[in-house]
Amino acid sequence: MFTFLFGNRYRSSVVHFFFLKLQFLFRCWSNLGTGVVFLPKILHHSQVVVATHAYGNRSGVRYMTGGLKVYYIPWRPFLMQNTLPTFYGTLSIIRTILVREKISLVHGHQAFSTLCHEALMHARTMGYKAVFTDHSLYGFADVGSIHMNKVLQFTLADVSQAICVSHTSKENTVLRSGLPPERVFVIPNAVDTAMFKPAPKPLDRNEIIIVVISRLVYRKGADLLVEVIPEVCRIYPNVRFIVGGDGPKRVRLEEMREKHSLQDRVEMLGAVPHAQVQSVLISGHIFLNSSLTEAFCIAILEAASCGLLTVSTRVGGVPEVLPDDMIVLAEPDPVDMVLAIRKAISILPKIDPQVMHERMKKLYNWHDVAKRTEIVYDRALKCSNQNLIERLSRYLSCGAWAGKLFALVMIIDYLLWHLLRLWKPTEDIDKVPDFILPNNQDGKSSRFKGIQKLSLNLNMIAQKKKAHIDTTELCLAKILRHFLRISWRI
Amino acid sequence: MDASTGNSSFLTPRRWRKVAYGGMQPGYDDNHTDETFLADMVMNASVVKRDILKVMKDSVAISQYLCIVSLVILVWSYTLRSTLDENSLLLLDTSLLGSGFLILVLTEEMLSLNLLFHYILNISFFITGLSVLAPIYQTLTRSLSSDSIWAVTISLLMLHLFLHDYSGSTIKAPGALQNPTLTSCISLNASVVASVFVASRLPSRIHVFAIMLFSLLVFLFAPLVTYCVKKYSFRLHLLFSLVLMVVTLSFVYILNKLLFVLLLGLLVFVNMVCPYFLIRIQEYKFEINGPWDEAKLCFDITD
Repeated sequence: MFTFLFGNRYRSSVVHFFFLKLQFLFRCWSNLGTGVVFLPKILHHSQVVVATHAYGNRSGVRYMTGGLKVYYIPWRPFLMQNTLPTFYGTLSIIRTILVREKISLVHGHQAFSTLCHEALMHARTMGYKAVFTDHSLYGFADVGSIHMNKVLQFTLADVSQAICVSHTSKENTVLRSGLPPERVFVIPNAVDTAMFKPAPKPLDRNEIIIVVISRLVYRKGADLLVEVIPEVCRIYPNVRFIVGGDGPKRVRLEEMREKHSLQDRVEMLGAVPHAQVQSVLISGHIFLNSSLTEAFCIAILEAASCGLLTVSTRVGGVPEVLPDDMIVLAEPDPVDMVLAIRKAISILPKIDPQVMHERMKKLYNWHDVAKRTEIVYDRALKCSNQNLIERLSRYLSCGAWAGKLFALVMIIDYLLWHLLRLWKPTEDIDKVPDFILPNNQDGKSSRFKGIQKLSLNLNMIAQKKKAHIDTTELCLAKILRHFLRISWRI
Repeated sequence: MDASTGNSSFLTPRRWRKVAYGGMQPGYDDNHTDETFLADMVMNASVVKRDILKVMKDSVAISQYLCIVSLVILVWSYTLRSTLDENSLLLLDTSLLGSGFLILVLTEEMLSLNLLFHYILNISFFITGLSVLAPIYQTLTRSLSSDSIWAVTISLLMLHLFLHDYSGSTIKAPGALQNPTLTSCISLNASVVASVFVASRLPSRIHVFAIMLFSLLVFLFAPLVTYCVKKYSFRLHLLFSLVLMVVTLSFVYILNKLLFVLLLGLLVFVNMVCPYFLIRIQEYKFEINGPWDEAKLCFDITD
């Protein structure tokens, strides 16, 4: 997970801290990651710190573009980028991070992430304000969903505000968690229109190229692709497919390709790194999305920003994402999808990629998202502080048995927190000094300069304070220098 | 701005739209909850309203099978005590076979001579194979103690009863569409193994052959026969079950009073208490469906 820490350069006491969950593959990572990278640049009166758990050999503290600080907490993920749920194990490290960075608000993302739930629980115990964002849709019927919804009900019982990425997602979250709808804000994701530009020269329309970029899993409708692609290739001899992405269903797609002899008409690219997604998108005319469930599909935004016409299944929040003239919707049924592709091919001559790109710039904007998020933060910060007794009543209303269990969990957390305060007093935790970064909006050179300056600052600090510095600060400075050298090369 | 007066306000004539693009909608906050909120939610779409009499009548199938299994256990205990000798067992087998065939012929609409001949051929192969294997079964568990045998038999029979497919038959008449599930196959195998264990405790080869034939006839073909009866006429099925229950209870009464009480209690529980409980808790069923559901594929995925 990434966490955004928003800190105020001008009002250093207002620092926000939240967790963001990394999606399963790097592609989705970079979708949220672009937000991670963008928001610090845009939010001038907030500072962001991100906390997540360690990935591979990434562990410790790193600095990203724009001075974004990322804490990779050394807890190993065990299943689908998720750590084992330890109820109170993360209390100590989260408290240290929150105190060290002078945080004032914790923002957690993704209901599936155990670290998020634990961080929000500890943040509420320690008196910080909490905001939660839900990025996915879940069902109600099977055993896993029932447990997940109960955990969500526990976490959201005491959260100040919640954010959902679409209106359908808001309805789903409200039903799952029992939150009053007035406390849920709908703030959709945005797309980096500067990166996703259409091709400089319009593509030749004699051969129509349909692009598919997604994880090839059941949830993303890879089985629908297996049925749709041969049918479309049979009906339209001038249509080609480009399929990017990897996953367990890739084998089925390869088999389909062999069975119908479509090797020259269906190109399988494998996993596409995020930096190359734009070049793959601009090589096509139509973008096909066949997912079976989607709270908000950022892939569609990227495709529209590159000037592609989108054909998608009518699931979840997809009908809300684009205006009706930029997207063709179909039921998740192969016959209906083929009809939708036919309709898309017929309206393709009327599409101008540059016009679409300009429209997307007005429709989706990270500045707008940041502004709306800050409204939520301000609303959350204005909520009154409540002590443990007042908060317990909220937990007790979660259910006859569950309410009492949740209240017990919170009481134990509160006691552990006080024990921790006695053992490691707050005054002994060093606070991170404020760094003034060059406030640049232009390209990469300034980013490197910023990181260079940052490393210089750290070096100076380390040397200046050597006499009085304690070992933790020195280690931290050394780690930072080390990681900066590595991250410079990213 | 107050969202509720947005519609009538002079400054914000635009209605709220359920869309995500275009940034913040003028005149409405991000947490505006429209009247159309949760309008697409469907509650209890596929929930069936149940009637208690119908549920009770359907649960008769379960108690009928319980009685059949108790009769089998009865025959086993009489044979092990040498109350039933091998000639009466063989007589029992032939009468069961004959009545089974009779019921099949009477109730099956599309029974042809070809199919009948096919069945008879299969049965004769079956009996021949069993008579050849009988000596093996006799010495199979000689080294095991009796207690372990009874313990294993009882646990296997429990497993068989739990996993049994009460709605149909694992061995289907030719032309049936539904494939047997994994649990029904497991239950069938458990019953067969239990009968092998019991048969291996018997003194002579004829005993073993007779008891194995009896057990296998019941466990393999009784579900098929009862399914045919139920399909033919529901009232016949109810009558047959009632007769079976009375016969079983009387025989068990003669054998052991405690077992009689247990069996009676079990039958009352299955036939009366469980249906009532089901109807009571059906009121709490709350099924939610809406646009957020994961789409179901309408075709089968064939790998």
